[in-house]
Amino acid sequence: MTGLVRSELIKLLGLPSAWAAIGVGLLVAPVIAFITASSSSSAGADAGFQELAFGVVGAIILGVVAVSSEYLAEGDSSTGSRQITTSLTVLPSRTKFLVVKAAALVLVVGALALAAAAATVVITQSVLGAAAPETGTGTVLRVTGVVLYWVLTALLAAGITLMTRSGILPLTILVLNTSVVSVTYLLSRVVPAANYLPDLAGARMFVHEVESSAEIAPVTGGLVMTAWVAVVLVAAVAVFRRRDA
Amino acid sequence: MITIEHVSKRRGSHQILTDITFTARPGRVTGFLGPNGAGKSSTLRILLGLDRAQTGLARVCGRPFAELTRPLTTVGAVLDGSGAHRSRTGRAHLRWVAASNGLPRGRVDEVLDVVGLTEAAGKRVGSYSLGMGRRLGLAAALLGDPEVLILDEPVNGLDPSGIRWMREFLRERASAGRTVLLSSHLMGELAETVDDVVVIDKGRIVSLGTLAEVTGGHRSLEDAFFALTSTSGSSW
Repeated sequence: MTGLVRSELIKLLGLPSAWAAIGVGLLVAPVIAFITASSSSSAGADAGFQELAFGVVGAIILGVVAVSSEYLAEGDSSTGSRQITTSLTVLPSRTKFLVVKAAALVLVVGALALAAAAATVVITQSVLGAAAPETGTGTVLRVTGVVLYWVLTALLAAGITLMTRSGILPLTILVLNTSVVSVTYLLSRVVPAANYLPDLAGARMFVHEVESSAEIAPVTGGLVMTAWVAVVLVAAVAVFRRRDA
Repeated sequence: MITIEHVSKRRGSHQILTDITFTARPGRVTGFLGPNGAGKSSTLRILLGLDRAQTGLARVCGRPFAELTRPLTTVGAVLDGSGAHRSRTGRAHLRWVAASNGLPRGRVDEVLDVVGLTEAAGKRVGSYSLGMGRRLGLAAALLGDPEVLILDEPVNGLDPSGIRWMREFLRERASAGRTVLLSSHLMGELAETVDDVVVIDKGRIVSLGTLAEVTGGHRSLEDAFFALTSTSGSSW
């Protein structure tokens, strides 16, 4: 099994688009946190952590690319050749294939989230000094929340892509929702139940000051997001196991 | 040894394969012949567990493909194209494939050498010609030095010297006691290469046997093929 995960890591990290995603994930939150911290005199309890909710874009791209790369047609002239045919002829068990792929994704995104969160916390502390959120056990728990949020978001993106077999739709929707216009957030202003959508509920794990009608504790938020991801993954696995590759 | 028994497949209301039964034996090159769309690729994809059949069983060395734990050491398969992501280099593709089956990294350079891709190994697959892509696919199939080789249209996209090389390569594998199953719609290219022939047309096996048996009273395998399949005369 470790050999299979190693192979999947080589496969994922051999993609230029995966490295672009890692670059985005490493830079977005620390850079925005630096700009925000430098330009404001007063900082809220969520300084740095708000930014980490945007940085998840890197995790989204990784989740999408890990799956969409399997289905990318080789070239304009060749119609049927996709990496998935190779993947399933070297590892015929579809369940095992997905477990291994998820494991590799979790490892890469987990490490990426930890690095991005650490960098963001350090930057926020050094720029804001005494005005920065206090560090302590709370910070460790929130960073854990960030790592979980990124990992779960990557799995969600991968699960959706497994159903669409193309990265365009999930990438567009998930990235736009996270960066440009948060449709889910706007919706939550109108419909309180929307606070329980995966991205909003999950962010409660590390963002504490939310203008919202719904009170959701960090652990509850994490569980709600996990439930969403589990449902999407179960559906995606069921479709993938039944369909012709 | 490859055994396919009573395999049938329907896609929607379209019957793609009906009761496909044949074997490919060790030490022989078996040609799976038929016009485009006859069901050759579908049969091979079912054999490799990529597509599902409604009924029937396909086995490689006595076991369904999906039950093989390190399949590359038993079966090497080349379907169309290279099977590699276009933004990887040829070598990077072979590296992950080798790692997936616990094969030593040294095998990567060995198979690159066998298929003559050593010089292009550092280039991205997207820049490969069709023929180079096929060679890369073959290199991946050879990583585990398998008992059985399965090739879908192996001479497609190859230049004349590539075709000649492929023929000799496949004959050598069979001489060494390996099983070789290849599909093709090009009869002329194959007559000198195959020992056994299975002819498929419109999803049904229409003839099978040794090359001599299938050629029968016809002047050539090509003549026999056109007499046996729906392509005869109609398109001209």
